[in-house]
Amino acid sequence: MNPVDPIKFEVIRNALIAATEEMAIALRRSAYSTNIKTRSDFSCAIFDRHLRTVAQAFTQPAHLGSLVQLVPKAITVYGKQNIHPGDALLINDPYQGGVHLNDISLISPVYLNDDIFGYVASVAHHVDVGGGAPASVGAFREVYQEGIIIPPIKLVSRGEIVDDVFRLILGQIRSKRETAGDFRAQIASNNTGARRLVDLAERMGADAVDSYTCELVDYTNRRTRAEVSKLPKGVFTSKGQVDNDGFTTDPVGLQATITIDNDGVLFDLSGCDPQRRAPVNSTYSQTFAACAYVYKCLMDPDVPVNSGFYQSLRITAPEGTVVNCRTPAPVVGGWETAMRLIEVMFNALAKGLPDRIPAGCKGTICHAGFGGHDPVKQEYFCYLETVAGGYGGRASSDGPDAIQPHMQNTENAPIEETEINYPLQIKCYELIEDSEGAGRFRGGLGLRRDYLFPHTAVSFTVLADRDRWGPGGLFGGLAGRKASYLLKSQGKTTDLGSKTTVQLQPGDIISFRTCGGGGHGPPVERDPQLVLRDVQEGKISAERARTEYKVAIETQNWFVQQDETHKLRMEPTGS
Amino acid sequence: MAFQYRLGIDIGGTFTDATLINELTGEIQVGKVSSTPSDPSLGFLEAVHRMLQKSKINPEKVGYIVHGTTVATNSIIEGEIARTGFVTTDGFRDMLEIARQVRPSLYDLQFEKPKPLVPRYLCFGVPERLDATGQVLTPLDEDALRKAAMSMRCEKVESIAVCFLHSYINPEHEKRAGQILAEAFPDAMISLSAEVAPEFREYLRASTTVINACIRPVVARYLQSIVDRLTAEGLKGELLVMQSSGGVLTFSAASEKPVFLIESGPAAGVISSTYLGGVLGYQDVISFDMGGTTAKVGLVQDGTPQVTKDYEVGATAQAGIGRSRGAGYPIRTPVIDLVEIGAGGGSIAWVDSGGVLRVGRQSAGADPGPACYGKGGKEPTITDANLVLGRLNPSYFLGGEIQLDIEAAHRAIKNRCADALKLDVVQAAHGIVEIANSAMVNALRLVSVQRGYDPREFVLMGFGGAGPVHANRLAAEMQIPITIIPMSPGTTSAMGLLVTDLKHDYSTTMIAQIHTVNPNTLDQSFSNLETQGRASLAREGVKEEQMRFVRQADVRYVGQSYELTIPLPSHELDTTEISKALENFHREHDRTYGYSAPQEPVELVNLRLSAIGQITKPHLHKLDNKNNEIGDAKKATRSVYFSESDGFVECPIYDRYHLGSGHNVKGPAVVEEIDSTTVIHPGYYALVDEFGNLMIAAHKNT
Repeated sequence: MNPVDPIKFEVIRNALIAATEEMAIALRRSAYSTNIKTRSDFSCAIFDRHLRTVAQAFTQPAHLGSLVQLVPKAITVYGKQNIHPGDALLINDPYQGGVHLNDISLISPVYLNDDIFGYVASVAHHVDVGGGAPASVGAFREVYQEGIIIPPIKLVSRGEIVDDVFRLILGQIRSKRETAGDFRAQIASNNTGARRLVDLAERMGADAVDSYTCELVDYTNRRTRAEVSKLPKGVFTSKGQVDNDGFTTDPVGLQATITIDNDGVLFDLSGCDPQRRAPVNSTYSQTFAACAYVYKCLMDPDVPVNSGFYQSLRITAPEGTVVNCRTPAPVVGGWETAMRLIEVMFNALAKGLPDRIPAGCKGTICHAGFGGHDPVKQEYFCYLETVAGGYGGRASSDGPDAIQPHMQNTENAPIEETEINYPLQIKCYELIEDSEGAGRFRGGLGLRRDYLFPHTAVSFTVLADRDRWGPGGLFGGLAGRKASYLLKSQGKTTDLGSKTTVQLQPGDIISFRTCGGGGHGPPVERDPQLVLRDVQEGKISAERARTEYKVAIETQNWFVQQDETHKLRMEPTGS
Repeated sequence: MAFQYRLGIDIGGTFTDATLINELTGEIQVGKVSSTPSDPSLGFLEAVHRMLQKSKINPEKVGYIVHGTTVATNSIIEGEIARTGFVTTDGFRDMLEIARQVRPSLYDLQFEKPKPLVPRYLCFGVPERLDATGQVLTPLDEDALRKAAMSMRCEKVESIAVCFLHSYINPEHEKRAGQILAEAFPDAMISLSAEVAPEFREYLRASTTVINACIRPVVARYLQSIVDRLTAEGLKGELLVMQSSGGVLTFSAASEKPVFLIESGPAAGVISSTYLGGVLGYQDVISFDMGGTTAKVGLVQDGTPQVTKDYEVGATAQAGIGRSRGAGYPIRTPVIDLVEIGAGGGSIAWVDSGGVLRVGRQSAGADPGPACYGKGGKEPTITDANLVLGRLNPSYFLGGEIQLDIEAAHRAIKNRCADALKLDVVQAAHGIVEIANSAMVNALRLVSVQRGYDPREFVLMGFGGAGPVHANRLAAEMQIPITIIPMSPGTTSAMGLLVTDLKHDYSTTMIAQIHTVNPNTLDQSFSNLETQGRASLAREGVKEEQMRFVRQADVRYVGQSYELTIPLPSHELDTTEISKALENFHREHDRTYGYSAPQEPVELVNLRLSAIGQITKPHLHKLDNKNNEIGDAKKATRSVYFSESDGFVECPIYDRYHLGSGHNVKGPAVVEEIDSTTVIHPGYYALVDEFGNLMIAAHKNT
């Protein structure tokens, strides 16, 4: 290749990123299901003709890592020779590079003068893919119970939707109208990306785009390695667990050994439990996404994400474990495991990077899925959302309250919009006082969200975690309050655990109480003025301020009682 | 005495611009003073003073003073807001704390959520509840509300925002709450969500209302102080304030609903483009305004600027293009849709750790400014690069006010960029300009191609101090056939203040499938909005024949969440009109998203009405035709770098003030005036029109 022209390089790089952002806008705006249009549960990416990712739109980190695994596998399985201009492949098969069944990807080859020039792909979490419970979340024994499994197949052939295939897929799905709209939105998104890629090739020359994307990958690899060189070298280990698997109370053991050396970072997950006949198995793609997320958090945010970024990332995840499951293990809760794996990896890294790593966060996707027959609209409705929780305290700041952590960054759906579209009422949506893990910098507060179904019998699924142990603290900080998922029916309250489907009667209420984040540093070292602010704001009770933070607060005129606080803080601990 | 003048005052970060127009002759005068951020009204008055002195006119002859201000935005960004209380439905008082539950940056472990504008102890949940159809499930607990009022009073709250669930469909509880609060706490200013932004989606409506409440005392005090001082100066004209959607509000309307003023500054440039385009017969314009720190791009279609309702105050632009969600405070009031990127004359070029040349996001600002300002700046900027390429005249920058140091520009580019890239200084300078251009091209694509508009059907209006240097090149990249450079491009934006109408925007939520809606019901709802609009305009002294009402509806496929805004006829509707609107929607959807689904049901979501009070527009001043030759305008030649010519070319330099109507400036050439420089590339020419605008187009035979 000729010497790099820095101008062309930057022009092409920006144009590729802009194209993925255009794809994301097209998908979000024309989608039908709340989960995609409002909550942004989707991602988009562009690949070169060697199936290397060259640009990604920043929406859900979970999808980004997994698309990188999925797209090359799907194209290889289907065979390049069987693809034609105007085709688009649909896939969600967890055992051919996919993740859980709800995340369906659409991959479109992009042609230039009869040759494949690259690929564009979008992945979106579809509200329902069939299976044993509405919204396709729930605890089952095999992947076959979880919904429709789609190996790479053509949804679009030479520019036309393959009607038989489309109808066959919709035939398995509860939310037909929404899902049909969402598929059309994915097609629109891919068409947008493909158009931009062709435009770029025509404007800059196909050879130039080709050679500059190679340079872009090399450049990213260089920058990633430069970032790795700044990290502390060593081997960092930690253990953790998913609290239960949905069928037994036996915690699912996770272990990460992270080696940072001059070649990059190795995530060794050999110590994780064997896979379960329960919904807590993560496919390799999901585990890869978790590791890629952690890796990216260690870098300067300016480092691009493309194939060059992943080159120095190494993973050991033995087959047959909960972090690289084999068929027919169920996978719907794979993101729960991948999410907790991130917590374990961060906990390990905290030893090497004490100033950068937060204490334990929500660490669960925390799905609420429900559906049933809508008596007014006379159709089957399905709904899925995920609820935020507390973030962990950091070395120099509190963990934010009520926020989506890690690979997950899905928005909440407006209550008014939800109540217009579905036969329910949200009874309350608020922070939970005293749910934070105490610390020098405290964890964020968890959330309470109550769902009432006044007139309708529905099937409701909780697929979450953290119902036995709250997120851990770091460096003397305390754990956040654990989560609970409650059913209130006819005056009785039942604790549902974290992975179950229940049949609700009209008038029943489900109450989600998500966990608070863990604290960072000993609570007695917290600035009493910050404790005062929290008590005044009603985030922490005066009593808890006294017992956990050893701060005495006068709640009439709002000040810290200095002498009393001094005395409390001088008392030997454990007394 | 008859009013004869209109005065525009636009307060920016660095300068306060004054524009005076003589409505009889169309003559425009411009002036600049330094802004006074600690008390912007001082700079305002200074600008008025100077303008009156310079023009020697009688203050009593000024009919309108139109103000573009960032005071509303700045008070949010700088946290200079009033102590505000928030009242909502019991169970939801954490709406502002929770916001959208997302992180503004994905991989930053030290991220922060924007701090709520109302602290939690001033947020009150009051028992009351409506369902999604507006039926009362729980009546308003008036005692609980009075208790909340007492607490707010004790806490010395100045302003209160009220937002109950589903109040967009049934505002009765909010209205009653407004009365009770006013009785219990007469000193507080009260903003009701059903009045400020009566649209569904509670967090967005609450956020809009809270922002309105937070800035209301601040903006009201500020505007009052200006009115007082203007009166003391003998100015009797009415003070009008520019809104973010274009159009102006009277002083009193602006004081009540200041959330409509957010981002009103940048809106003026797009309004100017709309107006100038209209005068010249172009209804479809892309507005490109490049100043010292940013470049702003907007799109005008059919003589109407594109407006967005998806805006966050205080959200800083991320790398690349577009705003991130969750980084600021959302508002649902209409804002002119601008893509703003960190590419201005002062944007800094650098080489990153992977050895790649980058431009922005840092800016050298006004102090120290670009290296060539000679004020100690060491970082190379876009201005430095343009100077090295010969595109700027070192002795005629701001008309010679600043002598540019070309050696300093060279040094900065060499030390910070060229050496690291192993390029020579000129190549590096060209790289800086082209990288900035590529970022601006992406912004242009975002407002046009991405939204389904073909840029080849638009003209490009290039202005701002730096805009005319780059406009020709961008138009070439985008295949935009004509580029217009207005006279004195540095003040084009300020002129937007003088060419805009009085405008009030109203909206109401009506969720219904379009084929089930009775046209009379729809008409009735629009008529109700129109009655409010007519009353406001009448109060402001607008005569019936100057009033205009524009109806629009937000429409989507049943099940979607983003609406497209479709124009409706302003007269009585019948089923044919509705079918036409429906067709229009399918077409728009296809244009915007690349597909439509005519078999799918379509629903109405919001009805929107703009009540417009037309004010007389100034005439553009025609050039005196001095019958001079183009040669008389040529003041020098200079070596200017063009990649098309593979190097430096000796170019004619023209004095814009000596160009006459009909003159044809053949590129490569440079046209200089006090506040800007126009670069005409090889293969292009600029025709001077009767108003002095430069109309740049490609030679037919190239």
